[in-house]
Amino acid sequence: MTPDAPRASRERVDEDEVPSDESSTEPVLAAYRHDVHKLRGRAHENAAAEYAGVRVNEGVPLNADRDAALLSRPEGEPEMTVSNHRSPYRLSLVTGASAGEDVGVGEIESAVKGLVTVADPVEAHRAWLESRVASVFSESLFYPYTSLKYHTLLTAALLSNYRVGAGFEDLCLIVDDPDEDPTPHRTVLETGEVSLRVSADPEGRPAAALGSGPAMSFADVWSRLPEHPGGADGCRAWRVLDSQLRRIRSWSTALQFIEDFVAWWGGEL
Amino acid sequence: MTRVQEVLLELEQDYVGHPYFVTGNAVFTAVARELDDDVSVNALQASVGVFVPGTHGGFPEWHSQSGGVPYFGTSLRPVEAYEDLFLFRDAAQRWIGSSGPWDAENTHDVRSYAGRTGFTPSTWFGQPVESRNRKRTVNWYVHCFLHAAGSDRDVVPVDDEVLDGLQIGGARNFGLGETSLVDSQTVALEELDYSRVREADRLQVELVSPFVLSTEHPAADDQSVPWWWGVDDESIRRRESRLMQDGESFELETVDHGQVVPYAGSDPVGTARQGVLRVGSHSKFGFGEFRVRPAGDDRVPERDRCHTARDGGEA
Repeated sequence: MTPDAPRASRERVDEDEVPSDESSTEPVLAAYRHDVHKLRGRAHENAAAEYAGVRVNEGVPLNADRDAALLSRPEGEPEMTVSNHRSPYRLSLVTGASAGEDVGVGEIESAVKGLVTVADPVEAHRAWLESRVASVFSESLFYPYTSLKYHTLLTAALLSNYRVGAGFEDLCLIVDDPDEDPTPHRTVLETGEVSLRVSADPEGRPAAALGSGPAMSFADVWSRLPEHPGGADGCRAWRVLDSQLRRIRSWSTALQFIEDFVAWWGGEL
Repeated sequence: MTRVQEVLLELEQDYVGHPYFVTGNAVFTAVARELDDDVSVNALQASVGVFVPGTHGGFPEWHSQSGGVPYFGTSLRPVEAYEDLFLFRDAAQRWIGSSGPWDAENTHDVRSYAGRTGFTPSTWFGQPVESRNRKRTVNWYVHCFLHAAGSDRDVVPVDDEVLDGLQIGGARNFGLGETSLVDSQTVALEELDYSRVREADRLQVELVSPFVLSTEHPAADDQSVPWWWGVDDESIRRRESRLMQDGESFELETVDHGQVVPYAGSDPVGTARQGVLRVGSHSKFGFGEFRVRPAGDDRVPERDRCHTARDGGEA
């Protein structure tokens, strides 16, 4: 077990390198489009290769998809964790309700189309950060409290870092200034009050290392941050949010929890 | 012998209070209210009460026991080694199994009580109406330690009758914060196995409760960050807190709990023992609890497993 092994298993790829196979999508765009079958409520086996005129459901390079999945759900054969919720819709940790309850099928379809067909990678990142429809879905039927939106953003952030040669063990969770613009592909959450980024270089911002390998480590990493976003010292709602985040292990669940909590308790934060 | 009583209470009613844990002050006050002599009250020392979901799970690798149990969080487990004391002390409760919705089981259902947010005593799963009959309930428990200072060691163990029916947190007149005693056991710190701490090359200190740096309370002193935490002061997260005493509120500045710092001292076993009894100001009320753990012992063990699997696995 050498620290360099994971890095060595990935080829170094320059950000601006043009893919040699013209039929495949620009790699970061592939990350944003890799789980379109889930947005359409389809199983992986029935995933279409093309949707709304763009290539979708392609593999994501450098194992970024697999690593992102390990951040949010257990390894190995999945098990049904909520027996009475067999639905692609996410369950909210804030309300306990299905996130699909108040969204119409038509609304979902047109929003998915809009989200998937963004051609510019930076705009695609921005569209995912702001997307409501992506947060309606869980990242797996077996784990309804996970979020497809944040799984996808984590996948893109890992890929973006791996492509410039960073290994997983080099990465940190970084607390950014929410008034600054998000960093393309690296910002994994932006709610107006909280901006979080996954990157190797904290650039002077408060940061905590993700650790030696991808695992359900959110509570640990959050608890190690030298500074938390928000005003927990002066506001009970922030303290409730912080106290819950120290109990959540899955990354996509935790990031989605922040988004839902801020939306639900917004007035008190 | 330094006896520490491990206590598990079940939350019977909604709880309105500190959201991270039941404060040591709340645990202390609840027990002290039931004790009838000043000597015991003066000697009693209470830890913070950590919330534990009564769900299924299994012993972590670092525990002296192994295997899984259906209702793991609903009773105390054997304590043979020092680490065993900390089974339920981490808010992330990493022993919870992943065959159920682990994060939902370990987060509180938040309710508002006349403008104050509080937690429900149990969480229901499977809200959809069509499956009403298949709802599952997970109850909340509170885990804390009691010990006695000085020579008044017969204060501990506190009798079961005293511990049953304690009320914690706010709005007690309305019946909130009611608990029942589920389980209690007393261990002697000197009799525990410290071999993992003794044999480790490098150690870390994990803060289980906040450490008080400065306090407004006239009877307590300000402290600096302990020298045996191998960190510079700037890299530590601080938090304001408060201690209520006889209706008066005292502002505190603390090092926030949950952080991990390198251990730079030379007496790991003695330090480990002291961490259970707590250090610094207001340790009588739960502040300053920490765990000493081998540096190679990742708080999230799966991180290393993935790492190993990847080294030997596909590219």
